[in-house]
Amino acid sequence: MAEVRLQNVNKSFGNVTVIPDLNLTVPDGSFTVLVGPSGCGKSTLLRTIAGLEMPTSGQVLIGGEDVTLQEPSNRGISMVFQSYALYPHMTVEQNIDFGLRLAKIPAAERKERVAEAARILALQDHLDRRPGQLSGGQRQRVAIGRSIVRHPKVFLFDEPLSNLDAALRTQMRVELAQLHQSIDATMIYVTHDQVEAMTLADQIVVMNAGRIEQVGPPMELYEAPQTEFVASFIGSPKMNLLPGSAIARDDVRTVGIRPEHILVDRTGGDWAARTQVVETLGADTIAYMVADGLGDVTVRLPGHVRLKAGEQLYLTPERQNLHLFGQDGRRMKEAA
Amino acid sequence: MAASAPSQVYSAPGRRLSLTERLRLGLNNGRISATLILLPPALILFTLFVMLPLGESFYYSFFNWNGYGVPTDFVGLQNYQRIADHSVFHVAVGNTVKIVAVSLFLQMPLALLLALLIYRKTPTNAFFRLVFFLPYILAEVAAGLIWSFVFDGNYGVSASLAQSLGTEPFFILADRDWAFVAVMTVIVWKYFGFHMMIYIAALQGVPEDLVEAARIEGAKRPQIVRYVLVPQIKPAIIVSAFFAIIGALQVFDLIIPLTNGGPSNQTHTIVTYLYTFGLTRLNIGFGSAVGVILFIVAITVAVFYQRFFMKRGQS
Ligand SMILES: Nc1ncnc2c1ncn2[C@@H]1O[C@H](COP(=O)(O)OP(=O)(O)OP(=O)(O)O)[C@@H](O)[C@H]1O
Ligand SMILES: [Mg+2]
Repeated sequence: MAEVRLQNVNKSFGNVTVIPDLNLTVPDGSFTVLVGPSGCGKSTLLRTIAGLEMPTSGQVLIGGEDVTLQEPSNRGISMVFQSYALYPHMTVEQNIDFGLRLAKIPAAERKERVAEAARILALQDHLDRRPGQLSGGQRQRVAIGRSIVRHPKVFLFDEPLSNLDAALRTQMRVELAQLHQSIDATMIYVTHDQVEAMTLADQIVVMNAGRIEQVGPPMELYEAPQTEFVASFIGSPKMNLLPGSAIARDDVRTVGIRPEHILVDRTGGDWAARTQVVETLGADTIAYMVADGLGDVTVRLPGHVRLKAGEQLYLTPERQNLHLFGQDGRRMKEAA
Repeated sequence: MAASAPSQVYSAPGRRLSLTERLRLGLNNGRISATLILLPPALILFTLFVMLPLGESFYYSFFNWNGYGVPTDFVGLQNYQRIADHSVFHVAVGNTVKIVAVSLFLQMPLALLLALLIYRKTPTNAFFRLVFFLPYILAEVAAGLIWSFVFDGNYGVSASLAQSLGTEPFFILADRDWAFVAVMTVIVWKYFGFHMMIYIAALQGVPEDLVEAARIEGAKRPQIVRYVLVPQIKPAIIVSAFFAIIGALQVFDLIIPLTNGGPSNQTHTIVTYLYTFGLTRLNIGFGSAVGVILFIVAITVAVFYQRFFMKRGQS
């Protein structure tokens, strides 16, 4: 078990600075999810923690120990790659066993640990196969198995589920949550997927262009995004970001309102709008509208509400759920 | 299941259609016409330039014939008998075996080592790759001439070396015991770059993830090479070994300018033996017999190698 701490980490490739100056604490035993747009430096950060990249300056501490100059294998970490990175020429068992063999752990104990991992991940029947003979989900499990047998203090995952189909992704997500509960190690997890971030994380780190925009529990980011960027990034469908004029406030640059926090009425309301496209999802209905003088507004309604494209309606945002952002793009202290 | 179902016309799914059925159903996708159009040129060329000369050599090998006129002096297996009894042929076969051994156990490991050092794409590595590959691009005869100059004890590089060391000049290519060592050195120098390039191409195809995963698992560089990189490029190694063996059987044009088979016929290979005792002495029948032997050896090696290594490497 170990806390991971990054202190003033800078990472540049040649004269391209990917991470300018980053400070982050990942609490012991937490499930921390890194999210952010493509190319913002999530993988680079994860690889820096792993020791596959050396920070240009700054320190990486794991369990209070400065490991900045340590080899990856001496950091007590393990990593699951997006591509799984299984050895095609080895069987599942040999893949899982590889690190233990290198560490010269006695055969009996190795066998025991591999068996345990195989049991946790339901791989017992596949130990003699090669990765090429497995399905995507099974390969993913082998990659996880390879990392748990070494009993690392910190697990690193770089988009581990992105190569799986939707159904399998949901299943593996649940399995990962269970794994975290049962082995109780620190986990740092990179993803593009909103749902993975919201459901798995104790703590979400939103990154943008190598900087941290906000760190906090999922609901805190959802309820009180500190910047316009976080507001637009967390939640699906995206939060509506409208000019301050929408609520007649000059000091507000942007006002944010989530699609689920807008009331729709046929007779009257704050904003007149016309329905463009309606998506019926069953439990929800998502309506894409254009409000007069404001632009696009997305609204989420209960599934039983029937709207037609082209319909003229009135929208009223819930006052208590407005998010106000000042001229600097940051959340304004006062409520609306 | 009704016997009169219309699907009967196309036969049950899963059953392979016979050729006549496919023809009747027009299911050949133009494959047959493509075969009829594309096959003859290759077939004719192969027959003209490979099969015919081979058959001719085989025929000539039973004659005592100097290459002029029509072979008439049929001698049966006498040519083969003479080859089998000829001590120089034994030396040539031994030398060829030595070249195979040196190629497999010295040249290939050397090529692999260098490939591992310089396979990553950096400007410095590109430079070294070019340098190491240069000998391979050089014409064999030119390489032979360059090295005969290097080894020359009177005027060559080794002469200056001996002079600066204050020792007697050494004529390695004229030394019965050492000449072939020198020849093998030149062979390794000439061809290691080829194998190195095969390995470099293969190593560049190994996903970097695998290497990084191994580092995280605690593998040091030698272990990464042994457990990850080498197994990953095994098919390339198998192919390169095949080229090494077949190439070793055919070494010829390096040796002619270097030693011409001397001193006292100690540095012949099978092909220089064929050239010297068959062609230059106008014993075409005898030379043909050597050629037939060489062909049988090469084809046997190729077939066995394919059977035992190539197949497994692919699966
Ligand atoms: N080895 C490298 N050399 C040069 N630039 C690099 C290198 N690795 C990453 N970068 C750059 O660093 C930036 C961040 O890359 P990184 O892979 O960390 O992004 P990411 O957030 O993981 O994106 P994605 O979500 O697409 O995986 C990118 O602009 C990328 O081009
Ligand atoms: Mg990435």
